[in-house]
Amino acid sequence: MITANERAAMTESVGAAIADAVARSANVDATLAELGWRELLADDPDAAVEIVFTALGSANATASALDDVLAATLGFELGADLAILLPNFASWAPPGRIDGSHSHAHGIATCRAATAAEILVACDNESALNTSMVSVAAAEVTVVRGVDPDAGLHFVRCPIETKGGRPLDPAAWQSALALGRRAVAYQIAGACRTVLNLARTHALDRMQFGRPIARFQAVRHKLAEVLVAVESLDAALAAAGDTPSPETAALAKAIAGRTAYTTAKHCQQVLAGIGFTTEHQFHRYLKRILAFEGLFGSADAITHDIGHRLLAERRVPTLIEL
Amino acid sequence: MSAELAAYRGELRAWLEAHREELAPRYALPGTLDDHVAQMQRVKAILFDAGWMQRGWPERVGGSGGPPMLRTELGANLAARDFVDSGLFSLIEVLAPTLIDFARPELAAEAVPKLLSGAELWCQGFSEPDSGSDLASLRCRAVPEGGNAATAARWIINGQKVWTSLAQFSQRCVLLTRTGPADSRHRGITAFFVDMDTPGITVRPIEMINGELEFAEVFFEDVAVPAERMLGELNGGWAVAMSILPYERSSCFWQRIAYLYRRLERLVEIAPQDDRAAEVVGNAYVQLHALRARSRATQHRLAATGAIGAETSIDKVLVAAGEQAVFDAVHRLLPGMVEIEDSAAGETWRGEYLYSRAATIYGGTAEVQRNIIARRLLDLGSDE
Repeated sequence: MITANERAAMTESVGAAIADAVARSANVDATLAELGWRELLADDPDAAVEIVFTALGSANATASALDDVLAATLGFELGADLAILLPNFASWAPPGRIDGSHSHAHGIATCRAATAAEILVACDNESALNTSMVSVAAAEVTVVRGVDPDAGLHFVRCPIETKGGRPLDPAAWQSALALGRRAVAYQIAGACRTVLNLARTHALDRMQFGRPIARFQAVRHKLAEVLVAVESLDAALAAAGDTPSPETAALAKAIAGRTAYTTAKHCQQVLAGIGFTTEHQFHRYLKRILAFEGLFGSADAITHDIGHRLLAERRVPTLIEL
Repeated sequence: MSAELAAYRGELRAWLEAHREELAPRYALPGTLDDHVAQMQRVKAILFDAGWMQRGWPERVGGSGGPPMLRTELGANLAARDFVDSGLFSLIEVLAPTLIDFARPELAAEAVPKLLSGAELWCQGFSEPDSGSDLASLRCRAVPEGGNAATAARWIINGQKVWTSLAQFSQRCVLLTRTGPADSRHRGITAFFVDMDTPGITVRPIEMINGELEFAEVFFEDVAVPAERMLGELNGGWAVAMSILPYERSSCFWQRIAYLYRRLERLVEIAPQDDRAAEVVGNAYVQLHALRARSRATQHRLAATGAIGAETSIDKVLVAAGEQAVFDAVHRLLPGMVEIEDSAAGETWRGEYLYSRAATIYGGTAEVQRNIIARRLLDLGSDE
């Protein structure tokens, strides 16, 4: 575990290093390796995920750190050669499916899919979970262009060896999913905070009717609404760290999605014309938010799932205490 | 802190469950305001006798010490079991600390136990017909008898208050008055602790949108108040008013949140189990969780630093939206319940639904909170 002082220092140095790498168009994964990301992840996963993913979101950086987060929680050795197959967009089911004769996987992978030798696939074989290691050479790997070609995402389809898989404890899968959700939520939180700052700066600089548009209450209230959302996401992430469970992580991820859309909608409106062009950075953040919000389940999908569970159990658990 | 709280919570919950029969309301739902007030005072008396009401209050006012969060836990656990109305019960948090921080020590020591034990109810005379969001413009005037503020034995109060919750039930009132020039705004306000049976006070309850008479207009006509009942300094009433904010925005909110979780639970107990309900309930729950997480962080920051400020406008926006989301969910998922159902359940849901409409108004409107967030937290400069 790192101390509060170390955490603060690291937040600053990692943030600066990642922003610098993005500015230089350098490889962010290489920067993370130099910063000791994998060691920190092994030592203090909560701090590592918070610091690194917030910085990635804030700088709109493309990296494959998510693979390490999943590999670590699933109990695999970390390394740049091991990619992880993430669940399909908007889903959180294991991407592999083994049912009798038909065994295959399809899901999403990060930019690591382009360079790794192997892909780790979590599979559901109806009665139990297991993990299979698939050679990248045997998989069909396609670059996702989509809304954000710079996000580094890939579609992966591959056959699964029905034999030789390693059993996967459902609790381990739940833990991996939970930490993965928190990681993506931190990334979204970093992006939202940056977008809010961009819109705030614009509101103070942009003059219309002889005054900065920040003086207009309609503009002020939109930005206030965004800060409320961003701060509540920070709180939900802190709660998911203090009271870790699949439920608190799922809620943090759902709140991240809501926050992302509130932030994007209001900040784009404040940025107005310039935010609709590629001459302002906003568009990169909007596109990255759209590309990542669906990972491990969108806010809508998670909310729906939680709602069904509350109705089925006829209970509304408070989850976190003072 | 967390371990101490967790131990306390466990002990408290076990005790409340063991005494459930004794603590549960005796009236049939929905009950009148008189029923709710009587129930609260009865519960306070039971809890005071058992020593729970004293936990988290300083020893110099008859408390048994410990962190204020013990009080918050108590209020939240009572609300979660529907033993008390959370809005009424949490008024303690905006009244007792004022006495503790600003009254003469003997007065605080004498008065606070009466509030905690259910022997008395107090009210708060802040808002006026022309001073709502703009509290610093208040006009209810206090002048020193004989004209000399330094030597006067009594102050004479004239004016009017409005939205004074529970005024008709209260023995005392924490009252803000104008003691400086008419335009002195926050620099010329003084607080008093006034006995409500003083001659010259008239209470006229106002019927709310849900039919209850929870708040009132209070008229003051040559009401004489002893100088020793002044709270804080002469013209120092703004500090008294502002000192309430940290309690209102921490403990009171946490108690309200406990109530909202309980109401959402009551909804899922009877709501249809379909996709539409899942979405509506899920949305309200996600909102409540964000609110609860935020409120928890706020309270730990208050405990650690002793101060919270403008950033609690965020908590206020979230709690108001959370309350309306829960009752909007009720309205949407129980067709006719709020609108035409005349059973006890209908009366109960309808009353609370209508009450929830005020959540974005009382305690500082949603718009004022956003103005504060823009000015103080986002540093967007003046809007003028």
